[in-house]
Amino acid sequence: MKAVRKKRLVTVLVLLLTSGLGSMLIIKALDSNLDFFFTPSEIFKDELPDNKRIKVGGMVLENSVTRDGTNIIFKITDYKESIQVEFDGIVPDLFKEGSGVVVLGYLDNEILKAEKVLAKHDENYMPPSLDIEK
Amino acid sequence: MLVQIAHFLSILSTGLFFTTFLLSFLLDNKDRNITKLISRIYSHGFLLLFVSFLIYVFLALNDSFNVLYIAQHSNSLLPNFYKITSIWSAHEGSMYLWIVFLCLWGFLYSYFVSPEDELKAKALGIISLIAVGFLSFLLFTSNPFETILPVAPIDGADINPVLQDPALAIHPPTLYLGYVGFVIAFANAISFLLNGDNKIKWEDSVRIWSISAWVFLTVGIALGSWWAYYELGWGGYWFWDPVENVALMPWLAATAFIHSLSVSSKSKLLRIWTILLSIMVFSLSLFGAFIVRSGIIDSVHSFANDPERGLYLLSFAGILVVLSLAVFSYRLPSLISNKNIVSFSKESFISINNIIFGTLIFSTMLGILYPLIYEYLYLQKISVGAPYYNAIFVPSTILASLFLFFSVDAKWQRTYKVINTHSAMLLSGILSLLITVLVMFFSKISSLWILISLFTGLLVIIRYIFVIVNFLVNKKYSNPYSIAAHIGLGMLIVSIALNSEFSSERAININLKGKDTYKGYEVSFDNLELIKMSNHDSVKASFVFSDSKGKRFILSPEKRKYFTRGQITTETAIYVTPLKDIYITLGDQLEDGSWIVNIQFNYFIRWVWLSAILMALAGSFLAFSLRRVD
Repeated sequence: MKAVRKKRLVTVLVLLLTSGLGSMLIIKALDSNLDFFFTPSEIFKDELPDNKRIKVGGMVLENSVTRDGTNIIFKITDYKESIQVEFDGIVPDLFKEGSGVVVLGYLDNEILKAEKVLAKHDENYMPPSLDIEK
Repeated sequence: MLVQIAHFLSILSTGLFFTTFLLSFLLDNKDRNITKLISRIYSHGFLLLFVSFLIYVFLALNDSFNVLYIAQHSNSLLPNFYKITSIWSAHEGSMYLWIVFLCLWGFLYSYFVSPEDELKAKALGIISLIAVGFLSFLLFTSNPFETILPVAPIDGADINPVLQDPALAIHPPTLYLGYVGFVIAFANAISFLLNGDNKIKWEDSVRIWSISAWVFLTVGIALGSWWAYYELGWGGYWFWDPVENVALMPWLAATAFIHSLSVSSKSKLLRIWTILLSIMVFSLSLFGAFIVRSGIIDSVHSFANDPERGLYLLSFAGILVVLSLAVFSYRLPSLISNKNIVSFSKESFISINNIIFGTLIFSTMLGILYPLIYEYLYLQKISVGAPYYNAIFVPSTILASLFLFFSVDAKWQRTYKVINTHSAMLLSGILSLLITVLVMFFSKISSLWILISLFTGLLVIIRYIFVIVNFLVNKKYSNPYSIAAHIGLGMLIVSIALNSEFSSERAININLKGKDTYKGYEVSFDNLELIKMSNHDSVKASFVFSDSKGKRFILSPEKRKYFTRGQITTETAIYVTPLKDIYITLGDQLEDGSWIVNIQFNYFIRWVWLSAILMALAGSFLAFSLRRVD
């Protein structure tokens, strides 16, 4: 093989290897940091590991909100199943019974320990996959 | 009546832009009189569009609620300032502004660039084509001129209260000026590729335009971050939300682009990179418009869902990108430079920088698109959060900063010997290490990543301080804009690291006239009052903070209820000190009458924006220095 061709081959191989390795690292970082999104019925349908961070979307069940100091306990429902949520902190302004909410947290004995409670800054907001029923 | 005139003028301007496009591609571009003619038609097109926009502003100021968009987004009770800014508070109006800015850049370009410039006519033609594409999008799918017939409503539906804020009023215009400003570089790059004469130095003429656009983009993103910090009440400056990410990608590409540009305009090295990046910056800006406006991605900031709009934008942006890349690859063989890049020259460091920035853009894009792909394949909704982005951005930024550190004294097109500057490098290394160890010792930081980030940030800052010292003592010339911008980068890394290490928050439950303590401060809930304003009611609480040294200050967070939409918003109260912000938000009142209050200590958060401001200032001075004096 001519020297020029050999050099070109090496360049191409090095490029492929580094970009392959880079992409692999990126995909790995991606895979280990995904938050899965569920509706309450899906949580009870699927077997979920307790220590995985998940997102749960639904409506805040009417008359389910109780408070204890800075703790707030409520239920998220998709009008088929509902799941209890515990959160320590301030819920968003748009949080109210009967309106849409998304909670990020860990499942612990069928109770969702919330890290974050989100309500969209739009009063027309519906959590995804609920917009058909209502 | 006026609204029909505005509507008609914008249709007319679309026609003129289309004429500009046709003429620039049909007539001989080498003739300067033809270039002059094309500029003139373009300028008239812009003038019509601008007048139509001014009429629209006038309509908004005069509460013309017969215009559907104004009726939906403005209100007679609004102060005049917000009547104007309500124009860009939703999809149609903000798209309108976006297009006006796009054409404004083209107009300034056609005004300031001499008709002798061989690339000018086609560049204007390309800008016109893009303007036509977006104006048709506006007029056919998102018409802001639609009227309510036969009877106009008595009052408008009001602007969303969280948008009634000075920072947010100027955030979108600044950001848009940044996004669309890169149309000049894009159009010139394509015009250069179509022209086929490799001797033309398109890089020189677009530098000032690209750097100005970069400044707007930087300031626009910083403003958005600042607004989110004090308005949304979450206490952070960046949330890795998809809509933030689509603004970050053009910024990353633009930063790589202006670095690459400085190489290509000096020698013809890295030309391919520069052209590719110019296409990339503009494509990413279009991609951003698509993501935000199609409703394909769920975000706190996105506009309402509309598949038809998304499809139009995606096809238009897709065609533009595919066509540009086709021209690019057709001309690629003739662009390959036979000059090799010398190792350890400035060019070599900038190409490494390009690769790192490319990786960051690719990863961010993946983070945005992966949930869509995943849902399509597995019918399972997922989201990608901050941990992913941190895992990518932290090591990449550290790596880039280390390369930057070694590149400070590198020469153009020549290798450099480390031995010549090793004392400055060694000293900055020792000093940074010393400071890092001291900080670690006194504040017990245990996270390795934080320490490494702190160290690299300091390394960059101190290294550039040595450059300044060298300039003052030995009169050795160095580029002041580069020094300022890179010190800004170092500051940004240090402040982000310290912010994520030291910041803390706690929710407390407190009664009126009650007391609590947090982090050495005594907090007492002093007062609660109800205030009636022109368009909202407000509950205003007063908290007195006092520390052991007897320093006292009062913070008054609010909860507001706006009349027209019945929406409730939270206004945070912030006490700013150089090192930290004390940030307090008022939560709900419990049945026993006590209130939930969230207290945050946000360290070094001001320095995050200060770093961005420093970078933007460096950019503006550079742009100012580049203006041709004739």
